[in-house]
Parts: sequence; structure tokens; C-alpha cells
Amino acid sequence: MEFALEVRDLVKTYAGGVRALDGVGLGVRRGEIHALCGENGAGKTTLAAIAAGRLRASGGSVERAGTAGFVPQHRQLVERMRAWENVVLGREPRRGARLDAAAARERVRALSAAYGLPVDPDARIETLDAGAQQRVEILRELAREPALLILDEPTAALAPAESAALFATLRALAARGVASLIVTHDLNDVAAHAERITVLRAGRVVARFEGGTDVRAIARAMVGGAVPALADRVPRATAPCFEIRGLVAGDGAGAVRGLDLDVRAGEIVGVAGVEGNGQRALADAVAGVLRYRGTQRLDGAELAPGDPAARIAAGIRTIPRDRQREGLVLDWSLSENLALGDQRRAPLRRGLGLDRRAARERARAVVERFDVRAPSLDARASALSGGNQQKLLAGRALAETPRLLLACEPTRGIDVGAAALLRSRLIEARNAGVAVLAISLDLDELFEIADRIVVLFRGAAAGEFARDAFERGALGAALAGLDAR
Amino acid sequence: MKRGAWLPALVLVLAGAGATLLAGANPLNAAVELLRGALGGPQPLAETLVQTASLLFPALAVAFALRAGFFNIGADGQAVAGGLAAGLAGAAWPGAGTAALLAALAAGTLAGGAWGALAGALRGRFGGSEVIATLMLNVLAGLLASYLLGGPLRAPGATGPETAALPESAWLPVLLPDSRLTLALPLALALAVALQFVLTRTVYGFELRAAGKAPEVARRAGVDLGSLAFGTLTLSGAIAGLGGATIVTGILHRFDPALSPGYGFIGIAVALVGGLEPLGVVLAAFAFAILQSGSLTMQAFAHVPKDVVALLEGLAILTLASRRALVARAPAR
Amino acid sequence: MNDAVAASASFAGLTAIKAAPLVLAALGGVLCERSGVVNVALEGQLAAGAFAAVAVAGATGNPLLGLVAGAFAGAALGLVLGVAATRFAADQIVAGMGLNVFALGACAFGVALVFGHPGASSEVPALGNAGEAALIVAALAAAAGLHALLYATPLGLRLRACGENPAAVRDAGLDPARLRALACAAGGALAGLGGVFLALAELDLYSDGMTAGRGFIALAAVIFGGWTPLGATAAAVAFGALSALQYLLQRSGIPSELMQALPYLAALAALAGLTGRARAPQADGLPETSRLD
Repeated sequence: MEFALEVRDLVKTYAGGVRALDGVGLGVRRGEIHALCGENGAGKTTLAAIAAGRLRASGGSVERAGTAGFVPQHRQLVERMRAWENVVLGREPRRGARLDAAAARERVRALSAAYGLPVDPDARIETLDAGAQQRVEILRELAREPALLILDEPTAALAPAESAALFATLRALAARGVASLIVTHDLNDVAAHAERITVLRAGRVVARFEGGTDVRAIARAMVGGAVPALADRVPRATAPCFEIRGLVAGDGAGAVRGLDLDVRAGEIVGVAGVEGNGQRALADAVAGVLRYRGTQRLDGAELAPGDPAARIAAGIRTIPRDRQREGLVLDWSLSENLALGDQRRAPLRRGLGLDRRAARERARAVVERFDVRAPSLDARASALSGGNQQKLLAGRALAETPRLLLACEPTRGIDVGAAALLRSRLIEARNAGVAVLAISLDLDELFEIADRIVVLFRGAAAGEFARDAFERGALGAALAGLDAR
Repeated sequence: MKRGAWLPALVLVLAGAGATLLAGANPLNAAVELLRGALGGPQPLAETLVQTASLLFPALAVAFALRAGFFNIGADGQAVAGGLAAGLAGAAWPGAGTAALLAALAAGTLAGGAWGALAGALRGRFGGSEVIATLMLNVLAGLLASYLLGGPLRAPGATGPETAALPESAWLPVLLPDSRLTLALPLALALAVALQFVLTRTVYGFELRAAGKAPEVARRAGVDLGSLAFGTLTLSGAIAGLGGATIVTGILHRFDPALSPGYGFIGIAVALVGGLEPLGVVLAAFAFAILQSGSLTMQAFAHVPKDVVALLEGLAILTLASRRALVARAPAR
Repeated sequence: MNDAVAASASFAGLTAIKAAPLVLAALGGVLCERSGVVNVALEGQLAAGAFAAVAVAGATGNPLLGLVAGAFAGAALGLVLGVAATRFAADQIVAGMGLNVFALGACAFGVALVFGHPGASSEVPALGNAGEAALIVAALAAAAGLHALLYATPLGLRLRACGENPAAVRDAGLDPARLRALACAAGGALAGLGGVFLALAELDLYSDGMTAGRGFIALAAVIFGGWTPLGATAAAVAFGALSALQYLLQRSGIPSELMQALPYLAALAALAGLTGRARAPQADGLPETSRLD
């Protein structure tokens, strides 16, 4: 068979009627490096999961010439076990009835050498950084000798050097006849390495390109028309508002190790960095759910670590990183969700009770200002799309103008229109004097909205860039820790 | 809760029928005898209502805690603690009048609350599983009562671990003459209404429900999960303790360690069938009380061992566990 | 001197008898929990094992058949728990409590039905002293065997992976739901054997309430022992020793309730972190969605 993978008329409908894929056709040739591109919500991950056999399609066909290995976006390893245990799981070498650990370690070393993926067989996964964990996961898939390797957003958590190494591996695999299907929305990778490119938008294939196509053509196909313009940035004076000194928080690879940061009222400070360099620990420490050493001051007053209620009272609001696990009670209505965080304060609180009318008023205002598409104010949060849920959370954070707004991955996994609206609201908040701290893995997003960008590398600041100095090359170097000052 | 409730109901009906057939009896006859024993006349009905009250306290305790995401399996132990305190306070209260009764009920509520607070502290302060804690405290309550009443607090002339008999001034007033139906039932109903109000109308109830559904979301919204664990399990224990006190002051008129025979576990079934809503729990308690109080008649006249009821209660819990995860419980150690 | 030796021997012997059912139940609990299913149904599994053993031994006159029946009964309950936890994504603690109530009720029902008089069965052919000793040895062998299984065999690796990250197991092409159900059934069989010991080795009958909370003590042993076979066994033996001690100290001044309370107090101490922070398997209690939806 000429193709490692052939997909025809693929349809996938989720419960609730959401049509993630609407008649998709795709072919990956043997030994080819094929990129699958699209915006968030286009259906790329769904297609990848079906192609890998991890998800069942609602209609259409999938043909493979052999097995497909799958490296998902978020690691699916057994963290407390060692690398060799993870790699051989399911195909364990035996000696009689016993598990042959020595042979397993040897097998990992051999694979590691053969594919150029350095992995320490005895390391526990939980001690490894993102790149090393990904290598283990790739090795695990390669151990099963697939004809096709499917990788979902493989470079999101990698530094540029690690990215280059990954693609070197994929090219080596291609030379041995193992095809790769890379799902990504990072066009720089695509431009450099893909032989063919398929672009998805809203569940359909809208374009196919050969390698070497201008990235702008690919980007246009992904977005499919004009991106809504963002709100204007109003030039304004800023004033001191929030300061972090000597922050030490979290443990392991993603810890913050001595960070100083200032966010002034009326500016957006973007925190850029490859995933796993301390963003989550920083966000959780500022939100008050992670204990830390060092100081954080809001308007000169020091904040106590680990007290979310006090921070909310002081005027800090958060758009959390994970809307479903940290932001919304999915079973609850919009009104009730929007009351979360402010339930102890007027106007929502009246004596011992919750003022339902005030809650509905707030809900009405947020839904309107943030264009939240929902059947009614009493609809459950679970009935909303990702973009609308995110808008709800942003609306909640901005319902009463906060002093400091912490936005973590504010447009992660949502469609282009919702993303543009949210970014506009962030800029408007900044114009109105809110101090905005935006942590994002999306450098382009920060380029659009931030006044200053601070790069986070290994838990500390590794470079600060003013808006007139926003340039991919310099920032890329800082992200990789090459420009540590 | 109503939607899709037919499958568990079917399972229960089939199991009940199957068990009665195994016993060599006629399922329809068994059902008739059961209902006759529970509802066939003012006296049986009164007795069924007595059982309703006895089940309602532990069931409300369990339901309330579960709404917050905490599993209180120790309602029996809390009832024992409450009943013991009520028996001691009521017997020892100087003077006459309803003060003795009020003292007994108050003592029972506080003691049950204290017993619940132990589990609450372990969960709130150390993150230790309240499931294990309340289970262990169940047994410890019985052991403590046995020790105290066998030795230091032994009632004069008692042959076993029981307190002195309560003076009549400390008895719960009877609602229906010649029955055991007391003020316990209206008290339980009022409690259910109060809990419903707290859950739906107060800020505390709002935070509690948020913690029960999505603990991480609640935490980031400023809810102190440790304090919530402590407070909720204390309240839950207090409810169960009050229940124990009503059994001591209303039915037994003295403390007996066997005052709550498995009601804590049946209470789980009642809470689940009632959908964890206080008013639903009231209806469920009545339904289970029918099963409990009718079972003796069923055993006597239809010759089906009354233990079939326990069997069905267990099945009810099991089938209702299989609905989308009841509460997104915060992981305890 | 001889008195001391005799006393020690009798203490050791009594400990072995008290500990054996606890060890078996605790091992069953460890196996189940290691695969990722919380098992609070040990009490019901003990009771079911005891009752089934007595019923079959009485009916057939063969205590060995009773032993098999007891293991089978425990396994059946374990399988129900496993399936409820995986296929139905049930709340595992609620399901476990349901199984407890169900099993205890079913056993009481069964006693009344099979033996005519409620409360307790008649005496049945039992395993005798030889059988009792054999089961004690089997319990210790099971501890060693479970340890070897979990840490030195491929199946053990897969089971432990199920308890930590079932999605990774699925990605490896295995079926975590089936592995969990298998572990729960096997664990239930062990707990059932604990019940067999109670009914056919230590005694020769079944009576309502004979398990007397041993299933919960076994659960305490699992936690206290850090969810490992050897740790749980050591804890179970310790609890058995406490039980034996309580029996021997009956006529001393120490209240028997205090001795009886010690295992439960130990479990509470473990919860308060006084025994160090052992970690439950990471996916313990969490459902795994094994269906490809």
C-alpha cells in the first residue's frame, strides 16, 4: 500500500450534537512527514485520535498499513514508574513467569541508541522534564514498530533546540519508512519540516499544500478570512500596582526559583515561556492556592500566601488555566457560576443569604458584554462551547473592575472569534487602569496584547522586552535560555 | 433523579421477588403483608412514622455531608455518642420540667457534633479520608460507651451497659396515645426544611455545594475547604447525635448501645434514593420505613425472613452508586 | 521458665489465629486497591465467604467444598465491585458500602432460609486443626505470593499501572477495565478465604455479625501498611496480636475495650499522618473510561 494511512469521509459527532469532523479525507504516504494544521477547535486532535485508533468515528473509514503509534499532547505515562516500565508495558520481556527487568532495560537502551532519543531507563517519569518525558513516550510507541507515528502538538512543551532534535528524529524515522503525522498550529515547524500539509477548519479540509508553501498562505487557510480587529490600545500613564519579589514556589521541574516581577496599573505584562518553566506555579502562587516564599504586594500591602479569599477581597481576579477543572461548576447554571468568587461580598451577599436577583443581574450584564452564546441564564455551564465558557470566566473576572487580573492561557483551545473578543476585553481592561498579568504559551498572542513581555525560563526571569522590541528571534533565544542575563 | 430511575427500581423489584420465591413464598403475598404491616391501621402507621423519624436523622446527616463532598459513614457512632450524652444528661438533670428534656437533646446534639468533629478535624487538618475516620469512630463510639457504662458511669442496679432510666420529665412528648410516635418526627421534618433552606439560600450552602461539585473550583473561589470539612462533618454528626437523643428520650427512655442498629448504613441508601435533597430524603425515609416496619409482619405471615429488606437496601445503594459520579470528591490521602 | 515459653507459644498461636482472616482480607484489599479500585466491601466479602462456606459444607458434608464456595462467594462480590467501578463508573465507596449492606443482609437471609432458624447456622463439618494451620500458612504464602506477583511479573506491572494511570494502560493496547475487574475478583476471593477461616477453621458455624468489623480492621491494615502486601500483612499481624493480647489480658485491670480499640486508633493515627506519608495508588478511586466513545 502506498499510504501508511488513508482516511475517507470521516465524520465525528459528540454527544450533544457537536460535529467535530464533517467528512474529512486525508492520506499520509509511507515515510512521509505530514502536517495537519488548523486553529483551536478545528478538529485536529479528534482526527488524530481517530487515526490512531484511540477514538471511534461516527462515520467514514480509516485504513492503515500497519499500526499507528500515538503521542498525545499531554503525557499519558505512569508517573511513579520508571522509564523502562513505561516503555515495555504490554510487551514485557519475560524469563519464565518473571518479568525480566534487565532485558527490559537493555531493550530501552537499544531503542534509545537506534533512534537517537537519549532516555535513562531507570529514571522515574515524575522526575523528568517535558522533553525527556516526551522522548520516553515516543520510544514507547516506536517499540511497537508502527508504520505511522501520530504526534499531537509535539512542540508545545519543547524549547527550540529540543524541537529541532525531535524533527531530526522524525526525519530519521522517515528514512526508515515510518511516516509521521504531526498535528500542530505552529507554522514555523510546518514550514521547516513538512512535506505535505493539510489544513482543517471547522471540521472540514479546506486546503492542501506541498512543503515549502508560504506560511502566510497556510495561516490564511487556517483562519479563513479576516480576523476580527482588536480593540485599540490607548496610550496611558501607568502606576505601581502589583509586585513580586524573590518568589520561590512549587517543586520539581516546574518550580519558580527566585522571580521578580512588576505589573503596573494600566499595562499588560505578558509572561512567555516554553511549557513547564514555572508558569503554573507562578499562576497558582498569585491566585493564592500555592504556598510560596518571597513577597507579593498589591498597592503596597503584602499578601499572605495560600489565601485565595483574601486575594479576591483585595481585588485580584483570575481567569484560570483549566476552565473545566478550575473555573466552572459544569452542573451549575450561568448565574450560579458567575457568583463564584464574590459570594461573600455585597451585592451578591445579603446577610446570611445569597441575593439571587443580584446574581441574575450580574449574569445578564456579563452575557451581554462578553457575547456569551447560551440558551438562557439558567442553562448549565456544560451546555456551552469552550469559547463561551472561556468568555464566561473572563466576564466573571472583569465583572467588577479588579486591581489585578491574572489571565492564564486566556484563549487556550477556543475558536478565533472568541479569542479575538477576549483579547479585546483584556486590552479594554488595561485601558481602564487594570493591571493585567497574562501568562501564555502563545507568543503571537502576547505580541498582540502585551505592553511588555517577560520570559520565564527554569523558574526565573530570563529577559524582558518592551513592545518596540518584540521580535521572534530575540524572544526565541530567551525562551531557550540562551540569553540569560 | 426521577429520570432513569426505572432501572434501579426494576432491579429492586426483581430482586425482592426473587428472594421471596427462594424463601418459598409468594411475592405478591409478601408485598401485601409488608404493606399491611406498615400501613394497615393507625397503630401500624404510627410505628412506620416512628421508623421514618429514626431513619430521617442519619439520612439527613449523610445527605448533608455528601452535598459538600464528604462521606459520613459514621452516623451510627455519632448517634451512639448523642444517645449516651442524652441518657446521662437526662438522668442526671436536677429538677423537673422540660428543662431535662431540652438538656438531653442539647447534650445529644453536642456529643454527636463532637464525634463528627473528630473526623472533620482529621479531614480538614490532615486530609485524612473521612470515610475511614467515620468508620473507625463508629466502632470506637460503641467501645467507649461500653467502657463508660460498664465501669465509671455504671448506672446503679444496671445489669449491662445502659444508663439509668430517664425520668418522665425527660421523655419526648407522645403525639399519638398508645404509640411510640413522638415529637421526634416533627423535629426531623423541621430539620429537613431548615437544611433545605441552608443549602439553597445561604452563602454557606452555596460554598458547600460548590465544594461538593467541584472542590478545586471552590478553592479558587475563596472557599476554605479545610474549615468546610470540619464544619460540615461536625454539623452532620450533630444531626445524627440529635437523632440518637430522640431515640433515647422518645423510644427507649434510657441509653442502650444498640439504639442505632445499622441505621447509619441504611441512611446512606435513604440519602441516595432521596437524591441528596432534604425534602426528597423525607420521602425516601418514609419508603424505607415502610420496608423496615412492615418486614416483621411479612416475616410472620408470609414467612419471608425479614433480612430480605437489608438485602434490598444494599442493592439500592449499589444501583444508585452507578449513576454518574455522585460527587467530585476531593482526593483524600 | 516453662511458663513463659508456654505463654509465648500460646500468645503466638492465638495471634496467628486472630491475624489469619485479617491478613487474607487485607491482602484482598491491597490487590484491589493497587489496581485502582477502592474496596470498602471487605466486611461483606468476609461475611459472604463465611456463610457460603458453612452453607456448602453443611449441605455436602465436605469442608473443602465449603472452602471453594467461600472463595467463590468473595470473588463474586469482588467482581460486582470491579464491574460497577469500571463499566458503570460507579462511586467506588458508595458501591462498596452497598455491597457490605447487601452481603450482610443476604447472609442473614440465607441463614434463616437454609438453616431454618435465624441468627446462626447449625454446626457443620469444619477444617479442623490441620486445616486451620494450613490456612494460616496459606495466608503467609499469599502475602509473599502477592508481593512477587505485583513487583516481579508482567501482570503485576500492568495491574499497578492500572492503579496509577489507566489511560497509559489503554494506550499500551491493554484493557484496564478487565484488569481491574480481575484484580477485584481475585482480591474478593482472598477476602472470602478470610471468611472461610472464621467459619470453618476457627469455628464451625456461621452467626450473624461474626465478622464483627474485621473487614474494617483489614481496611485499616491496608492503609496503615501503605497499600503494599508486606506492609498490610505486618499491620494485620500486629492487629491480630492486639486481639490476642486483649484476650490474654482479660482478667487484668486493663479494660478490654481499650485493647479492642487499638487497631481503630492506629488507623486514625495513620490518617493524621503520624505514620509517614504513604501514598495510595494515584488513580485509586478514579474511574477509567474504557469505552471508546
